[in-house]
Amino acid sequence: MSDGNPPSGDELPASAELRKRARTALQSQQQPTVTVLSSLLAVQDEFHYVPDEAIEETATHVNATINDVWSVASFYTNFRFTPPGEHTIDVCWGPSCHLNGAQNVIERVHSELGVDGEGETADGKLTLRYSTCLGACALAPVIAVDHHMKGRISPDSAAAVVEGLKGA
Amino acid sequence: MADDTIKFTVDGQEIEANPGQTIIQAAQDAGIYIPYLCYYPGMKPYGACRMCVVSTESGGRKGVQASCTTPCAPDMVVETNNEEIVELRRGITDLLMSEHPHGCLTCHRIELCGPQDICQRHVGVTDRCTICPKNERCELKDTVRFMKLDMTTPLQYHRRNLPIHTDDPFYDRDYNLCIVCARCVRACDEVRGDTALSLVSRSGVALVGTSHGTSLLESGCEFCGACIDACPTGALVERDYKWEKASAKVSTICTNCPVGCEFVMDVNDRNKVVRMTGDLSGEAGHGQACFKGKFGYDYPNHVRRLKYPMVRIDGELQRTTWEVALGAASEGLSKYLPEERGVILSPRGMNEDHYVGQKFARTVLATNNVDTGLNRSAELLATLHSQPGYGAATNPIWGIEKSKCVVVVAGNPTEEQNVLAVPVKKAVRAGARLIVIDSRETELTRYATTWLRPRPGTEITLLGGMARVIVDEAMEDKDFVRDRLDGVDDFKRSIWSFDLMRVSQITGVSEDDIRTAGRAYGTSNPSSILHGSDGVDADDHADLLAAVMNLALVTGNIGREGGGVYPLFSGANTQGGNDVGAAPSLLPGYRRASSEADRDALSEATGGAYPQMRGKAVREMVGGAAAGTIKALVVMADGWNPDAAGMTTGGIAKPEFLVVSDAFMSETASRADVVFPAATYAEVSGTITNLERRVQKVNPGLELRHEEREGWRTLAGLAITMGGIGFEYGSSSEVFDEIRKVVPDYAGLSHDRVERRGIQTPAREEGSRGTEILFSSAEDGKRLSLVQMAIREPISRRDDEFPFTLAHGRVLLRPEEDVRIVRDDRDMNRVERDTWIEVHPEDASEIGVEYGDRVAIKVETDASAAPLPEFALVRLSSPHRGFVAVTTLFAEVATGIQDSDEIDGSPSVRGLPLRHVSLAKAPALREAGMAAD
Repeated sequence: MSDGNPPSGDELPASAELRKRARTALQSQQQPTVTVLSSLLAVQDEFHYVPDEAIEETATHVNATINDVWSVASFYTNFRFTPPGEHTIDVCWGPSCHLNGAQNVIERVHSELGVDGEGETADGKLTLRYSTCLGACALAPVIAVDHHMKGRISPDSAAAVVEGLKGA
Repeated sequence: MADDTIKFTVDGQEIEANPGQTIIQAAQDAGIYIPYLCYYPGMKPYGACRMCVVSTESGGRKGVQASCTTPCAPDMVVETNNEEIVELRRGITDLLMSEHPHGCLTCHRIELCGPQDICQRHVGVTDRCTICPKNERCELKDTVRFMKLDMTTPLQYHRRNLPIHTDDPFYDRDYNLCIVCARCVRACDEVRGDTALSLVSRSGVALVGTSHGTSLLESGCEFCGACIDACPTGALVERDYKWEKASAKVSTICTNCPVGCEFVMDVNDRNKVVRMTGDLSGEAGHGQACFKGKFGYDYPNHVRRLKYPMVRIDGELQRTTWEVALGAASEGLSKYLPEERGVILSPRGMNEDHYVGQKFARTVLATNNVDTGLNRSAELLATLHSQPGYGAATNPIWGIEKSKCVVVVAGNPTEEQNVLAVPVKKAVRAGARLIVIDSRETELTRYATTWLRPRPGTEITLLGGMARVIVDEAMEDKDFVRDRLDGVDDFKRSIWSFDLMRVSQITGVSEDDIRTAGRAYGTSNPSSILHGSDGVDADDHADLLAAVMNLALVTGNIGREGGGVYPLFSGANTQGGNDVGAAPSLLPGYRRASSEADRDALSEATGGAYPQMRGKAVREMVGGAAAGTIKALVVMADGWNPDAAGMTTGGIAKPEFLVVSDAFMSETASRADVVFPAATYAEVSGTITNLERRVQKVNPGLELRHEEREGWRTLAGLAITMGGIGFEYGSSSEVFDEIRKVVPDYAGLSHDRVERRGIQTPAREEGSRGTEILFSSAEDGKRLSLVQMAIREPISRRDDEFPFTLAHGRVLLRPEEDVRIVRDDRDMNRVERDTWIEVHPEDASEIGVEYGDRVAIKVETDASAAPLPEFALVRLSSPHRGFVAVTTLFAEVATGIQDSDEIDGSPSVRGLPLRHVSLAKAPALREAGMAAD
């Protein structure tokens, strides 16, 4: 309430907007049974992640407490709670890809992105994820950019893909 | 029961079990110990820790089962201690210990070391036994000791290095010590219905926590302490006296509210109360507690306790002896006429204190000006004796669990009578309908199936409307009405005036909603009503009680399990006060002060003469002190804050002569002529009577350090000094023996009989086990009466300065709003949020504001009420013209108590009365910010 606290004043409209979107997503669920899980999925479909406000709106929507909803959300590794990058790169390190040099691909992608593990780049634009199998072992090693598969990848071609995404 | 008993064998011993009992329960009943951790009495079987594994053989099938989830079966053969089981259990223990510091378990010096000693075993500083707050009072340790771990140096365990939460009120949470048994999560969810905690994440890193790991202040915690009481490790502990060990444990009763929860009081070897734990065997509290009882207990330890009697000499209070002080009080009181004198008794007083107090007032001071400090029902009882006859609940507290429909009118049990709200929430979980009738938003509205928000002051009309629906749609209990009730025709005729359309106009509640509520109450069988008097004008209390009783009677919900009527009053022993005659119009045993026959009967029993004059109730006495009509007052002030009760600001005004008995130098005490040092709940022996009429024994855990005295002793001493006859009591038990003679409902009771287990009055015969449910059979001969009701037009209050009536609600959390946690200068969490105010759209356009605008709230002063925010954002959702509402968070109460400098904070938790306010448009935050630039 104090006047010397501008950040909170600025936060408010953004969070109100998030809540509105979350409510719309929650209310547009088509299936007959609405659960905490289905609601969380609806939210993630809308935002590509689950914002704090959406946890609270979900709780209100399904008449659970925020802690109940968080308990479910935190159980599944599928849910993420920070905004993803604009593009997602999945690098497969399953057995076939591993035998065909996935480790070198991963190392190169790391250095190109300036990261040392899964997550977002410093500018928040790209998200790197590891996968244990993308289901295209015949094309190993495989990476996927925004769910589009690219097979027989080498460290250099992976670097080129990353470079292309950075430019985009 | 005897027929379906299951017989089976545990460790070669044949034992018996009731159907549905699990192996561990039956074994415990038979005195066979099976180690366990996640199992907890009163909660559903969970089977998480596997510590309680046993081998079973039933019908030729062998197996290893968790005994907490496996029901007993006939002829089952159970072994709890064979080689296989011991090996399994050790494996489980090893896994648990792999992440739990356990120096305390594997050290031979455990009995020898003192808290300050240097550890001789090279155990890391953070892992030492003395670093654990539950050292030597840890359930995990006791359980695991059974397994005899090998001693290892250095400790083989993985420390998780989790942050320790010490920034919430009352609680410290160190999840490094957590074994994820989920008892706390289940206590919060299953037992309390709050779900402020849950299990977060999964597999190896799963842990107890809150949403996003936030502060308990914004997770919906009501700070009841149920999780702490259930925690088997040092992960959850009370912050106060965290490291203190108990040298004695004393069973006693909490004296903060009329629920009267049973507690085990931990006392240390320096004569201090260090902990209160809900007593699981308690019949009133079922082991539950609330923020007041669990954390507001330690004022007896305070250094500023009054130690000696004092008298005012030359304008200063000076230490003196009891003899001199009693003489001074006696001399001062003798100077006044009976009607100028009065006695106010502490709401926390024992029945013995109240009895001696009223006897002193009547037979020595010759006045009926005697009352308990928070009594509001005595006059009602006097007028309504023809109806229920008791001011107390007709049914037991936990009977509410069996209700199919619960109505809560004008009361906020979650804050005022906390544990009473627990069975309400449990009933709702089990499918009962909950109808909340309150213009405020309270914690229970979150659980309500129907929340009716009548215009303030029209609750009685709304209840009349519900009665009309029940009569119209023939939902009465016809047998009950025919066999038990009088005045039926007159009642039905009077109810005709409650035309639903008219009721709807007056109350502002739609006809449909009134019908829904009436039908829910009328058709659910059984239904109960909890009624307070918040926001109801004092003159209307009798009508409210009549309206509630009419509803209950006409539907046959009196004398029925799961039904009943529960008054929500204040003061731990207000009920006992009325029972033993500490009320202006009531003599002990509900005799009338106005009846000559009653006075004579009492006079014969106790000696002394009982006066006839009309006595003044506590409010009149406090007002009389200010107005000069009451000139001499004796106030037993322990735990009574007349400011918080809305009677005064800054304590009682000084009458000509004031005698105060208090544990602390309160504002009232500081202006007294004579001050007596009072003993507190932790030092007295006596009985109190809770709202379900249960007489329970309060036991002393502390020794009196100085010259403090119990209330009855002070009052009896004063009476003897003034020449009173029949005050030579040797102990409070002797006082009680006199009470049983003059209060028929207590005739079958004695201190010994209620020592272990409270008994509900009436208990009239020797050996009586009391009365759980009043009026349960027609045999007691009492026909009950319906009372005629009249529809009343709302009184419109026109006040140009403060045109709006504001209802102030309070809830545990509002998930749909943004809450910010900030750290205050003591590094403690504090909640910050924007308050919204509900305004009727037409009112809003009149004062020129729209949705989201900021308004300044100006309040007509009411010092007894909880503080309101100065500004709020407008939301156009008020259901009535001239009515506005704000909802604040319980977190503010919790941090308020924590920060309070008051020694005994619990009587000062401010209520939520209706207030009158004005609203004015205020600049929005950002504009205000720019203006400041």
